[in-house]
Amino acid sequence: MKLDTERMHSLDTIIVGAGAAGLLLAARLAETGRHVTVLEAGPKRSTSDLISSQIWARRLKWSGPHVEELGDHKVGHAFNAGFGTGGSAVHHYGVWLRLHRGDFSVASDHGLGLDWPIDYDTLRAHYDSVQSEVGLSGDAEAEIWRPEGADYPMPPLPIFAQGRVLKKGFDKTGRRTAPLPLAINSQPYRGRAACQYDGWCDAGCPIGALANPLVTWLPRAQKAGVHIEHNAFVNRVLRDPNKTSRISGIEYFQAGERHTLHAQQVIIAAFTVQSARILLSSADSNRPAPGNQFDQLGRYLTSHPAGTVFGLFDEETYPHQGVSGGQLISHDDYDQKNQGAAFGSSQWLIAHAVKPHDLLGYGTGRPDISGEKLKPWLRDAAKHVGSMTLVAEDIAKPENRISLSEQRDVNGIALARTEHNLDARTAQLWEQRIAEGQDIMRAAGAREVWHGPRVAMHIMGGTVMGNDEKLSVTDSYGRVHDTENLYVSGPSLFPSSGAVNPTFTLSAIASRQAEHLTKQAD
Amino acid sequence: MALATTRRRLLTGGAALSWFLVNGSWLHISAAQARAAGFSPQTLTGEQCETLEVLADELVPGARDAGIAAFIDSQLTAGDASLLIAKYLGVPPEQQLGFYQAALDSGTRLLATQDLSAAFAIELISKDEVLNWQGAPASFFSFVLRADALDVVYGTEHGFEQLGIPYRAHISPQEPW
Repeated sequence: MKLDTERMHSLDTIIVGAGAAGLLLAARLAETGRHVTVLEAGPKRSTSDLISSQIWARRLKWSGPHVEELGDHKVGHAFNAGFGTGGSAVHHYGVWLRLHRGDFSVASDHGLGLDWPIDYDTLRAHYDSVQSEVGLSGDAEAEIWRPEGADYPMPPLPIFAQGRVLKKGFDKTGRRTAPLPLAINSQPYRGRAACQYDGWCDAGCPIGALANPLVTWLPRAQKAGVHIEHNAFVNRVLRDPNKTSRISGIEYFQAGERHTLHAQQVIIAAFTVQSARILLSSADSNRPAPGNQFDQLGRYLTSHPAGTVFGLFDEETYPHQGVSGGQLISHDDYDQKNQGAAFGSSQWLIAHAVKPHDLLGYGTGRPDISGEKLKPWLRDAAKHVGSMTLVAEDIAKPENRISLSEQRDVNGIALARTEHNLDARTAQLWEQRIAEGQDIMRAAGAREVWHGPRVAMHIMGGTVMGNDEKLSVTDSYGRVHDTENLYVSGPSLFPSSGAVNPTFTLSAIASRQAEHLTKQAD
Repeated sequence: MALATTRRRLLTGGAALSWFLVNGSWLHISAAQARAAGFSPQTLTGEQCETLEVLADELVPGARDAGIAAFIDSQLTAGDASLLIAKYLGVPPEQQLGFYQAALDSGTRLLATQDLSAAFAIELISKDEVLNWQGAPASFFSFVLRADALDVVYGTEHGFEQLGIPYRAHISPQEPW
């Protein structure tokens, strides 16, 4: 469907990207009476598209123009990014954790990376309101590391056999665990069903138990009149020729045709790499790209170095049961960032529901087992494997960046290019923690222990928020510094990565942005 | 649990994975059915398909009959919509055909060596000990091909059943491929 001319002329806000941040903003702004249109690069999706198959689920991941990736810790855009309504949050695991207080002041406290322009207390009310709207299950009291905040609206999900087995390893090594807080319903919540614990979270949850945007923000956005234009790939934002600090609209391509769309306000929420690409592509012969007056656009790209430790037990673990994100969490080491040769926070996500195949499957991670030995081993693992994932902090560095490639897509748009290398202290942190994880598995009674490779989990930074225009791209509300009406939303705003999954924080930031934009209009 | 079962039964549907050319007609069938029916490959040569089946079946027994060659060949025509795991491993869709062709041609030459068993060929490939191997490193190709074979053999409701895992789909894939 093409946009009609009348609608184009009456738009208040264009949002680029129909993911967790974009749809939250669309719903909240439209509910205040604004005319909002969302442009999404991928296809239209609904819950009935979420087939329970790891292979089918690959369609939910980025299928747009290729992103060139360089460095010793490539960010894994094809795996981490989404494509279509709901964005990457359609295939996210629903692990919703708050950043810790110390995550907001890494530069001041440790002389590394960047500080945030806001602190935990600034976001606290938004964490609380979003968790109430979305629905979180957990045990706040058991999470002794958790910053202050409202209790979870639902009790935690149950702990199954795998969680009970792995917990013994943490207990024996003197580490504490708590039920993993999840944006997954442990009981019916606001008209959405409770989880069935079948482990298909990353294939997308069609029953609506996992709070992906298709069942949270999208219905609200649609009810409030938001229009979503799919298969619309945005190239750049357009400056107002009469006032260059104002953005007049965007240029996008759909089915090979170029279109422009104009509005009073533009919000780029296209996930980290594409958000930076769109801004970088908006430079012209007279002016640098928006937010790039001091060559900061694209810099401070971060990605959590992660790794999964597996154990094979005599006890039955039934690893198909539960949810993909895990059953338990341990943040015991989180607040000890400075550890000599190693640096950074870290967390363990414990007892994932896993499959035998696919990138994170237990069968895929054992290339040493093949031929006739494979099937008996897989049958054993299918009942006795346990797994847990380390998520470690990345140090934000200016040389890790998103830029434009020399190569172009079919529409002549420059491809995005990422370069990301790990600091030696981060690599050391990962090695130490993975070694500790294997000790925990042995303490839990594993008869066989192994770990997967270091992988990039989540992508953040590139359009970071800050108070100093010379070290950031936007202010604390996501407004691009040298513009009046161009905003960015999503994890690209994060000045530092912390070591927790980013969806809760990016949602809290979007909530704060929505409140700010609404007040501004009043 | 009765409620859950009812819910699962209601949520059936989904999409078959591919179309295959069999005896001049395009059929909407599973990769295993395409293999059994003698599909005509669209991107790989017959020789490359044969090598692919030999190597994949050595890595993951059952891959040949599960239609590994039909699956990979069809996905190589899918462009950006390719479902091959290679796209997560640094081989984007536009490079996947070249990736498989180069490795399979090297594999064909290796298997042509007198008296070389498939098992020994896989051992050499996984250790990067193949002379004049072309394309991506042999051990990486072996890892990717093994993951592909796990997909077609065990990434299905039938595959889960073979391992004693309840599939418990919310929405079942239409085709047992």
